[in-house]
Amino acid sequence: MEQGSVVVFHIFGFPVTGYITTMWGVMVVLLIIGLIVSASLKKVPGRFQMLAEYSLEGMLNFFGGIMGPERARRYFPFLMTFFLVILFSNWSGLIPGAGHFKAFHPPTSTWSVTAALGVISFFLTQISGIRENGWGYIGHFFQPIFVLFPLNVIEEFVKPLSLSLRLYGNIFGEEMVAAVLLSLAPYFSPIPMQLLGLLFGFIQALVFTTLATVYISTATAEHH
Amino acid sequence: MQFSLYDFIWAIINFFVILAILTYFFYKPVITFIDNRRAEIGRNISDAEQARAEAKKLLSDYQAQLQAARQEAQQIVDKALKSGDESRQELLAQSREEATALLENARKEIRRERDEAMRALRQEVVSLSVMAASKILGRNITEEDNARIVNQFLDEVGEIH
Repeated sequence: MEQGSVVVFHIFGFPVTGYITTMWGVMVVLLIIGLIVSASLKKVPGRFQMLAEYSLEGMLNFFGGIMGPERARRYFPFLMTFFLVILFSNWSGLIPGAGHFKAFHPPTSTWSVTAALGVISFFLTQISGIRENGWGYIGHFFQPIFVLFPLNVIEEFVKPLSLSLRLYGNIFGEEMVAAVLLSLAPYFSPIPMQLLGLLFGFIQALVFTTLATVYISTATAEHH
Repeated sequence: MQFSLYDFIWAIINFFVILAILTYFFYKPVITFIDNRRAEIGRNISDAEQARAEAKKLLSDYQAQLQAARQEAQQIVDKALKSGDESRQELLAQSREEATALLENARKEIRRERDEAMRALRQEVVSLSVMAASKILGRNITEEDNARIVNQFLDEVGEIH
């Protein structure tokens, strides 16, 4: 839940909040998973490796379906990192104690973090568009007629804004609902809410990643 | 809804840190591994196809060779049988000839022996009859007479024989 002061400590004078410490925890978990998987790669995969291969290849094919296999490979690290960071951040809110300790707040339940992700996707989209299409990318802001230039520019800024607000709103809202339900029906609501939380967390991560993929795909599409 | 610039900046830093970490320790190794394995499997499959084609070719070659060897063996056997038959016939003819020659020789020998015996006997009979006739007649008859008489007798005897 959004709280005024969740500052845990300071580094060089910069305050570090519980959202950030939790994000570090998510990063450590991802790092450990990544290290375990890549250190124990076998030609005949075990269950764990199978799951990892299935997830990575599945997402790669999913992105490939949107933007074509070649570009999917190029932008895969960014898109997959969006997905994994958001997914694990969302799910971190399901661990008992989340939101009750100073140092433990799901990162995606604050707009500060989701806005950061949105801004990264914004720059990723613009830079990839310019890199792949050059002036043609700039030119598409003046299409179909130059009068629409301001509208096109606003659209580009609205995209990451909507991405970040959607993610933040959903996760924050879900936590609020869970908290309210918990106070209304303390012995019945947690388990169904946990299951729904797993599903919502996955869906929101997928929606953010899919939309980012679509934006990059649109920006890098060949103009005629 | 609050916005904290510090959180915002931290989140951006965090994102790029985990992006770098995951790219180098997770995505790249796993995807490279999957690609390599896919390539290897493709290679193995094509190798297996090739090996199978080779084996098929070898098999047909061997079958052809076997067939040829079998035909050759049959020819050799046929030839051997034929030549055996021929040499048997030859041997048979030869031995038949030899037997005939032997028989002929034996017959000739017998005939010669008999003639010899006949001649000896004839002389003996002549001298014996001369002796006997001289004794009976008390005088000598000429050898010519004797010879004439004995020959006449012997001819008669020969005719009876």
